[in-house]
Amino acid sequence: MTSTAVFREKIKTRAPSLRGFLALLVVLIAAVPLLFVLFSSGQLSLQQWTSLWSNRLPELLFNTLSLAVLVAIGSMILGVSAAWWITRRDFPGRGIAIWLMVLPLTIPTYVFAHIYTILLEEDGWLGQLWMVLFPATPIPEIFNIFGVTLVLVLAGFSYVFLLVRDALSRSQQDIEEAARIHGATPLQVFWRVNIPMLRPAIAAGIALVVLHVLSDFGAVSMLRYQTFTLSIYLQMSSRFDYQAAAGLSLVLVCLSLTFMVLERFFRNRQRYYGSGQSKKITAKKATRFEVIAIWFWLGLISTFAFILPIMWMIGWSWQAWQQELIDAEFWGYVSNSLTVSALAATLTVIAALPVALYHARERSAVSQGFLYLSNIGFVLPGPVIALGILSFVIATMPAIYGGLSVLALAMMVRFLPLSIQAQESAVQQLTPSIEQASRSLGANWYENLRRVILPILKGGMATAWILVFIDTLKELPATLLLRPTGFDTLPVRIWIEASEEMLELAAPSSLMLVVGTLPVLWFLMREKSDKSS
Amino acid sequence: MKSGLTLVVLFSLLIGQIAQAAQLVVYSGRKDKFIKPVVAEFTKETGIKVLLHSGSSTALLNKLKLEGNKSTADLYISNDAGNLEKGKELNLFSTVPTELVNGIPQSLRASDNSWVGLSARARVLVVNTEDKSVDFVKSVFDLSDPRLKNKLAITHSGNGSYIAGVTVYMESAGKKKTADWLAGMKSNVGGKVFNKHSKIVKAVAKGKRSVGLVNHYYIYRHLKKHPKAPIKIVLPDQGKNDIGVAWNVAGVALVKGSKNAEAAKQFIAFVTSEKGQSLFANVNREYPAREGIAAAAEVPAAGSYKVAPVAMQVLGQKRNATLDLIESVGMP
Repeated sequence: MTSTAVFREKIKTRAPSLRGFLALLVVLIAAVPLLFVLFSSGQLSLQQWTSLWSNRLPELLFNTLSLAVLVAIGSMILGVSAAWWITRRDFPGRGIAIWLMVLPLTIPTYVFAHIYTILLEEDGWLGQLWMVLFPATPIPEIFNIFGVTLVLVLAGFSYVFLLVRDALSRSQQDIEEAARIHGATPLQVFWRVNIPMLRPAIAAGIALVVLHVLSDFGAVSMLRYQTFTLSIYLQMSSRFDYQAAAGLSLVLVCLSLTFMVLERFFRNRQRYYGSGQSKKITAKKATRFEVIAIWFWLGLISTFAFILPIMWMIGWSWQAWQQELIDAEFWGYVSNSLTVSALAATLTVIAALPVALYHARERSAVSQGFLYLSNIGFVLPGPVIALGILSFVIATMPAIYGGLSVLALAMMVRFLPLSIQAQESAVQQLTPSIEQASRSLGANWYENLRRVILPILKGGMATAWILVFIDTLKELPATLLLRPTGFDTLPVRIWIEASEEMLELAAPSSLMLVVGTLPVLWFLMREKSDKSS
Repeated sequence: MKSGLTLVVLFSLLIGQIAQAAQLVVYSGRKDKFIKPVVAEFTKETGIKVLLHSGSSTALLNKLKLEGNKSTADLYISNDAGNLEKGKELNLFSTVPTELVNGIPQSLRASDNSWVGLSARARVLVVNTEDKSVDFVKSVFDLSDPRLKNKLAITHSGNGSYIAGVTVYMESAGKKKTADWLAGMKSNVGGKVFNKHSKIVKAVAKGKRSVGLVNHYYIYRHLKKHPKAPIKIVLPDQGKNDIGVAWNVAGVALVKGSKNAEAAKQFIAFVTSEKGQSLFANVNREYPAREGIAAAAEVPAAGSYKVAPVAMQVLGQKRNATLDLIESVGMP
């Protein structure tokens, strides 16, 4: 037995006491909504199940799956093409192009839905343009699967872009060169070398996009497209039928789990290893024709994914400003949003730590199980998580109900998987031997935490904090149900104003969301480019 | 030191309820711009502060149910009698003394006064005056006539006013006739339903559609902005054997377990008073529930036309049946 192995043994027997306990605690809280779903759907009678099964499920399955497929295809086309041009060609404005492809992440799906609903009206910018260009054809309708697909692709393709760009800039040139030497055309290289090698990144990107589709609440409810999530929400809110909602949620959970298992399975089979010495890709200088083609394509994408929406927001915010609608109340919404997001991000990052640490150390079936359970936030729709947390808090600790902590707790459950993933790689650097070294030099647990563990984990924690902060800032369904009385955040206001047709008021809130996300996005991108250089 | 301070701030945020000195918490499903002037006037008169928690009527009712006796809400305001009656069914409201609300006719409040109607809206037709081919439309049931193919504008079936209207027609004319009617409308809408009533009126005014089914005030709201718009109101089903116009009320209820019940009753007294009534209803050109208070001048006077004799309670009791019917037809 090597010395590290001995240490590992020791740590295994001793550490679970605290880490394991904390991890268990976090996972139990994360599992509350799932337990709620299991419990409530357990009360459905066989007859109710059959009626759900035959009346609702076929349509919902079809709607949800076809939407997921369309959005996956759309995001792949936009994300992969943009990432390919940006990593493989050197063209003027490349730095700006990267930003334009990432900026759509600052706009939530419900804002996209709201804006495109308005732009496509007869007196909207796109509606007017359409009637000039195609006077004979009616303006395309956004309240259908294609409209929802458009919105979700625009809101989600950046994930595919980021992951594929990352993979492309790390991929090595020698394999491509070998293929070229053996007589492959560039197109053949693309299909038979690049695409297979990119498969893990594409798969991960698409997985992220599809999970967002499955749990999206904002866009589908604004555009009234019946997916599982919307139908679950309607069962709850317009029929007060929590059991049917739970039954549908259970089916959705199974669907998401199947999808996650499949994705993991395909990803595990696709691994490529390059040697350390191999040459990194260098971007080729783009020809004049290529520059035009690239900027036409990227410009087209970002026109719809960012420039049009942001112009709309700025235009109507200006109107609101002139009408003096931007008042103290509005700044109150901004500060509420920032408060709850900072709180939730902090809580989520701290909560993710024991789970990630425990798994990094243990690598046991139990720790793997913990990891799986902590993914519940990804697979259950927001309204159901909120409902589960609300029922749990009222039943067990009514004293804290009504405070921000309940909302923060729900956010933690929703975004725990994000936080764990972001911290995983940093946690893996924290080998038992480092910790043991500090302990053997006489550091107590606190010193160990402060001077060894935290410095190593800092980067991962910061990334996790940022990711959770962005997502909480945009979060809608849990906030709607769990916010303290009279505590309106920007998403809540956008939701209310959008249903009241107060364009002037939805715009500044949306703009503030974008502005609030920008600094953290900037931080994230800077960190990324640090890593790749 | 710094981290200690952060901890204190965090802790107070976590536990800190947004607690302010005695104030009335109102869960309001009514649009902010319509309820805020009423609340401001109430606070000016009584000195009682009000905390508005806005949202959709149904979502807020859900919240009330889930919160049970932990709710901080004192009052619930909904735009739809269906929700109010549902809340009564779920036992979420306290009854209020009759002498407090006897200005409001019995037909516009719950049988046990667990909710009180404040303003009424009528389901009417908006018709484009330039399209003479739709002059035959005199009843909501004419909306399923094939002659209206691609000429009809209705909202999607998640709309509360729409659902309440269908309930009234189902109660008056029976399930079979209503189902056929829905199916006929489905083929008349030309594959497009509207997500807002105001857009229906706009579409009719621009001649994109010829007839729309809306709440009466949307027509006057549009005419206020565009006085020359070629639209008119048609009060449907006014013949001797016809069912009459469907009404729905917005109303208020005292939440069970309210800790400020006295102040809440003062609020109810205010919104049912003559002054409160004309303020509450007229900001939106609705009919004040209290008798003897005039609605906006441009609106057809209440009592000058026939209203469907369906009790407001039914809108809650039959809502699930209506949803089933709408779903069975597959209305978008």
